[in-house]
Order: sequence, then structure tokens, then C-alpha cells
Amino acid sequence: MENTFKKKKTFKKFLLGERGESGFVGKFFIYLLLIGISFIFMYPILKMISKSFMGLEDLMDPTVIWIPTKFVFNNYQKASEVLNFWKSFGDSLKVGILPTLCAVISSSLIGYGFAHFEFPGKKIWMALLVGIFLLPTMLMSIPTYVIFQKFHMLGSLKAYIYPALTGFGLRQSVFILIFYQFFKVIPHELSESAEIDGASEVGIFVRIAIPMSVPAFIICILYSFVWYWNETVLATTYFQGNITTLQMALSSFEHMYSQLFPSGSIGIGSAAESFNQGVLFAGTMLTIMPLLLLYAFTQKWFVESADRSGIAGE
Amino acid sequence: MKKIKAFFQKIGDFFKKIWIIISEFVRCKLAVWIGKGLKFIGKYTGISWLLAKYRKNVSNKHKKAIAGYLFIGLWIIGFVLFAARPVVQSIRMALSDYAETRVVTTDTGESSVKFFIGGFGISQFKQIFNDNPDDVEAIVSTLVDIAVVVPLVLIFSLLLALLLHRKLKGIKIFRMIFFIPVILLSGNLLGYFNSYDLLTVSTLQSSELQGMLAFYLPEEVVDVIINVFGKIILILWFSGVQTLVFLAGLQKDNTAIYEAASIDGANKWEMFWKITFPTLMPLININIIYTTVIYANTGNELTRIISARIAPATHGRDYASALSWILFGIEIIVILVYVLIFKLANRKYK
Repeated sequence: MENTFKKKKTFKKFLLGERGESGFVGKFFIYLLLIGISFIFMYPILKMISKSFMGLEDLMDPTVIWIPTKFVFNNYQKASEVLNFWKSFGDSLKVGILPTLCAVISSSLIGYGFAHFEFPGKKIWMALLVGIFLLPTMLMSIPTYVIFQKFHMLGSLKAYIYPALTGFGLRQSVFILIFYQFFKVIPHELSESAEIDGASEVGIFVRIAIPMSVPAFIICILYSFVWYWNETVLATTYFQGNITTLQMALSSFEHMYSQLFPSGSIGIGSAAESFNQGVLFAGTMLTIMPLLLLYAFTQKWFVESADRSGIAGE
Repeated sequence: MKKIKAFFQKIGDFFKKIWIIISEFVRCKLAVWIGKGLKFIGKYTGISWLLAKYRKNVSNKHKKAIAGYLFIGLWIIGFVLFAARPVVQSIRMALSDYAETRVVTTDTGESSVKFFIGGFGISQFKQIFNDNPDDVEAIVSTLVDIAVVVPLVLIFSLLLALLLHRKLKGIKIFRMIFFIPVILLSGNLLGYFNSYDLLTVSTLQSSELQGMLAFYLPEEVVDVIINVFGKIILILWFSGVQTLVFLAGLQKDNTAIYEAASIDGANKWEMFWKITFPTLMPLININIIYTTVIYANTGNELTRIISARIAPATHGRDYASALSWILFGIEIIVILVYVLIFKLANRKYK
């Protein structure tokens, strides 16, 4: 009798869990939710991967939905040729890394200035910072272009780097605000005691503020990199053809494809050579893959470094 | 599979090692070097002599203020160089009778874009509200749209962040998947994916699902269900960036407080409102601002009208500027209202 009661209790514990730990039912629902939402996010990527391995026959055939009847690996090879992969990849890396570094360094400095010091006019500058972020981007693009032209910044990376260095890079107000909030919650006692010990303002910033807000740095680096990597409209107007990133190559993919593989010139194989979605999606996968890999590696630090900074703070 | 895993583990460990070296380097060496360099420069340019003099005379409060201005100096330079002119120009255009864009060729043969603005007054705003009822309608519907979507995105992203913050098996994989919206929603990838019917939103609206549901339910109900689901999925897509910002904020709060609270007998609901919510409060403000701006600038009725107006490139900027400032006003209203609401919610539980 007592034994069955105990069994019942452990079963209940297994199902509903004890305080602080969710049981089987709770976990089941959490996983269900996570998997459902993940499916929504994964859907475009999965669809694209499956189509990128399809030949023309499979793409035309409405009965083939997910798994191609014949895997075509040729698509990726062709796509990388059309994208001029290694050169565009190098350009993309340059466009991603340099402005990101500038943007993160400058926004951390500016955010620290707003968070840590009291000075007259601070509220006005903060309001301007947010206000400029709110302005519709379409309206600002041509006047900004005119200014860049005046400073001779067009046609090279300068058009990205100088604004990033001064806090006006791509959506950089968000980074400044994120840094502002992270620096603001650092206890005042910490910086004050450092000051008494003779640390300078720069010293406090480098030795206390930066180690305590590693998550902010990681998130800003990630976002900035992704946004610069994916930007095409601004990049084409600013670089004027001198730099071709992967995304820019992708946007002129069809045109380049018809130049590299003129249809009809091969005769029998011409149907397979003509432009199709399979090649296009293979190209798109090639442009997105580096970003996914980047996040796969950085998210580890995202958690671990945060743990460390938590210990340092208390 | 195991080999691949081990391989990635190795790469990960390698990067971790480099990270540790870099962070240690920054923490110990770089700070010292910068300090030494500054001292050296100060000694030989006379700045340190000036500084010593100024330290004696200036109060601590003034010193802090000057240091603060030095830190944000970069931003002020950027503001003067890159932002002040366009902002002033667009205000001027919105308050003008007409504005034209012309390409001017200088003597040296270089061509540049110039704006010609004439008249001063609120004629553009008058034109919007008196002559174009369609545009007024677009303004109202945009305001409603933004006001509905912003809080939903916030709540969804908060819930998703709380889910991802749990310590579960395989949560790392989910964290990786939840990064996909950040990638796909930037640049013009969103339009690209939409044009090929790859986003789940468009598939849902056009697929067999509608027919399948119509088999069991009356048509009006199906429409409502499809619409609501479409909106929810759209909102999920839009909450990618915000989720990770919240997640970064959650990384910072420490487990000791939660343990203490649970010993004192607090339940999870109370813990959320009294510990988690206040720590996330500042990030909520940032996310309100971010969501409003991004959502207001991606394909609503008002932005469509604005971009149609500036499409001719030679004229129409005056009217578009006036509309843009109205959009700006909408954003400010939405942000202020929601920041206030969340502030009140926070105070209530204090």
C-alpha cells in the first residue's frame, strides 16, 4: 500500500515536477513551443536548401516538394562561379569587419559618456540621439549622399567607416543605447572606489566597464556585422561599383548568370544550363551561411562570458 | 557525426583560447600601454603640465562634465558633419511651398545634387489634410498598425527570451535557430524571400491550409484564423533582434537573488515581476524604440506613399518631407505612450 503511494508520488513528480524544476508536462510544452516557432524560422532556410539541390526537372515537377529525386550538387559550383565567391567573400568580410569594429568602439565610448557622467545639455543630446534614429530613412538617404559626395567619401570603405567612427553608422543609435543601459547598471561604488585608488576615467572604462558588459559587446558586434553584411541598397550607392559584396553580387545574380552561361550556346544541355531557382537559392545559401556559422561560434561566448562578468560584478 | 562534432568542438575551443588571450591582453596590457603612451605624449607636449594646473583649479564636478563631453565628443562631431544638415534641410523642406532637386554640373565637370527651396509656411501640411483624404487615412491606419504591433512584438520577444534563457537540453540549437530572423530581416533579404514565397507568412495565406480549414469551418472564421495566424507569425519574425537583446540582459542577472527569493517563498509569477522585469526595464525602452522605428520604416501605407512621392527624383520632396515628419510624430507618440505604460506596470509591482 505504502509502496504504491510512493510510486504515485514519484510519478506525479515526474509529470508535474517539484518547485523550481518543471516536470515532464511543462518540459513537453516548452519543447513543443520551441519546436513550433523554430519551424517557422527554419522554413525558408529548409525550403531553400532543398530547392538548391534540385535540378530543373524537379523544380518544374509539382509532386516533388521537399526531397529532390536526384541531388544536383552542380548548383553550388555554378552559383559560386557566378558570385565570384572568394573575391566577393573577401570584400564582404572587409565591409563587415572594419565598420563593425569602428561602430562598436565608438558606440561603447559614446554610451559610456552618456551613462557615467553628468554634464549640462546631456538630456538634449540624448533626445537628439533618439530623434535622429526615428527619422524615416528614405528621406535622409539623398541629403546624406550629397554630404558624402562633398567629403569625397564615395567609392571606398570610407563611406562606411567615417560615419561608424562618429556614431552615425547603420542603426548605430541602437548600439549606443544598448551600451548606455549596460553601463548604467554598473554600481557607482565600484567606479568610485577605483577612482579613489587612482584610476583615470579611461582606466575605469577599460578595466571595469568593459569586462562587466561583455554581452552588450557581443550583441552589438553580431548585429552590426550582420547588418553591414546584408546591406545592399546603401552599399551600391556608396561604393559605386568599387567593392562588390556577396549580397550585392546576389542582387545582380540573374544578369551575371546569363553572361557566364549564355543559354542556347551549348546545344543539347541548354535546358539544364538556363537560369533556374536551384542555382539562385544555392547562391543565397552561400551568402547566408557565413552569418549562421559566425553565430554558431559566438553564441558560446555569449553565455560563458556573461557568467564570468556576473561573478566579477558582485 | 561524432567526428564532425569533435571537429567543431576543436574549432570552438581554439576560438575560445584566442578569446581568452585577447580579453586578458585588453584587460592587462593594453590599458597599461595606453596609459604609458598618453603619459609620454602629455610630458612632451606640455599637456600634462596644463592638466596639473587645471586639476588644482577646477572642481570635481566640472572635471566630470568635461570628461563626459570628451567621451561623447565623437558623436557630436558626427552629428555636426553627417546629420545636422540633412535634418535641417528636411525641416526646411517640410515648411516650404516648393522644393526641387536638380543635378548641377560645376565648371570642373563634376556633377552634384542640389536642392532648391522656396517659400515658407505650412502649405504642405495644409495640402495633406485638406486635399488628400487618402493620405490622412493612410496616416491613421499606420498609427493603428504600429500601435498594435509594437506591444505584441515586445511581449513575444520577452517570452521567447525567457524560454531561451532556461537551462534545457539542446537549448543551444534553439538559440541558433532564433538568430535566423535577425539575418533574414536585414538588408533587402526580406523582400527577396517574400518574392519567392519562402516566408511562412505568404505560404500560410496562399496555401492549401485555407482550403483544408474551410472544409470544417465557415469561411468567415477561417479568414479570421488565417489573419490572426499570419499576424502572429509576422510578429514572431519581427521579434528576432529584440529577443536577443532581452537574452543579453537576462545573462546579466545572477541566480543568487532567485534562490534567496524562492527560499523566502516567492512563486515564479512574483519573481518575474519583482526581479526579472525591473532588470529588463531599461532594455524594454530600447526595444520599444527599436521596434517602432523598424516597423514604421518597413512597408506600411505611409512609407509607400512617401517613397512614391520622392520617386520622380526632381520634385515631390517637399510633400514627402511633411509626411515624413508626420510619421516621425507617430513614432514619438507610440514610443512615449508605451514607455509610460511599462513604467507604470513596473511601479505597480514595486
